[in-house]
Amino acid sequence: MRIDSMLNGFMKKFSGKKSSKETAKKRLQFALVYDKLEINEMTLENLQKDIVEVISRYFEIDTKSLQLEVQREHELSALVFNTPILCVKKNRGYSGNNT
Amino acid sequence: MEGKIIVVTSGKGGVGKTTATASIGAALALEGNRVAVIDMDIGLRNLDVVLGLENRIVFNIVDVVNKRCNLSQALIRDRRIDNLFLVPASQSDNKDVLTTLGVQRVAKQLKSEFNYVIMDSPAGIEKGFENSVVAADEAIVICTPDVSSVRDADRVIGLLYARSITPRLVVNRIVPEMVARGDMLSHEDVMDVLSIDLLGLVPMDDQVVVSTNTGMPLVMHNQSMAGQAFRRIARRINGEADLPILVPSVRTGMWNRITQKLGLNR
Repeated sequence: MRIDSMLNGFMKKFSGKKSSKETAKKRLQFALVYDKLEINEMTLENLQKDIVEVISRYFEIDTKSLQLEVQREHELSALVFNTPILCVKKNRGYSGNNT
Repeated sequence: MEGKIIVVTSGKGGVGKTTATASIGAALALEGNRVAVIDMDIGLRNLDVVLGLENRIVFNIVDVVNKRCNLSQALIRDRRIDNLFLVPASQSDNKDVLTTLGVQRVAKQLKSEFNYVIMDSPAGIEKGFENSVVAADEAIVICTPDVSSVRDADRVIGLLYARSITPRLVVNRIVPEMVARGDMLSHEDVMDVLSIDLLGLVPMDDQVVVSTNTGMPLVMHNQSMAGQAFRRIARRINGEADLPILVPSVRTGMWNRITQKLGLNR
């Protein structure tokens, strides 16, 4: 049993094959990163509300045609926010509340 | 008395939560503590059979929480191990029957009567999990060295941190021969991936099935490797924080080596 497993390890080292645990660890690490990037609907909605609120202090935007999405490529995730700007607000202020 | 409530959880099912709860609970009692183990897996109870106490159930945790009986009426005393008690789950209800408020009330009473209260959480991260962790002071996360179990453990660890509980990890069912030839994640690999402290390492052990068959607590078998590992885990919980963690290894004793060479090994 043990000699057998040693032989196995030996063969693997020389044949240059990766051990299955290396594959397991890599897959696991990627899975955990991607799991954490997953954003639930509620969070996305709240984020959109907050972004709209901030942008609306400075610009008049078309809230109906805006888009917020998470785009994923190989090892990067990007938050993409698309909105048509209707006009720039003149009295853009610091206080935010009454603009 | 102001005891500690420890929840045993994993996310994934079938990784050894119930065996771990029974073993750690029994081992803590053998160390001289007053211990209650609580089966929180409402509707799918099993801690009673693992401990061999299934014939003595009258009341259960749902009865206690919903005030159909006193706590003392639902506590089943283990006759083999002094100071070990079980509160079984109900087999007929579902997990929504308990409220977190009710569980907290009973937990407070348990804490005042026991040194350690070990909660066996159900699989999953829904209501049953909530009820199991709501009163917990500490948490033990169990995982096996495979991708799906470690992934689920990571999720559960995140949920525990969100509740300000710092969990500790037990890696269960380690097969040293497979780790040695690179076909199983080692505990170092698991620790690299998860952000958590290690509480113990438990080897794969046929004796677990045997002791579940007979209902005799694993930690009472002196020759059981898994039983010994759980006893060391219990000692670590019980104040011996510096007790070294043994890594399950391929048996390399002189006699073993000789018998293996001669092909005499089982």
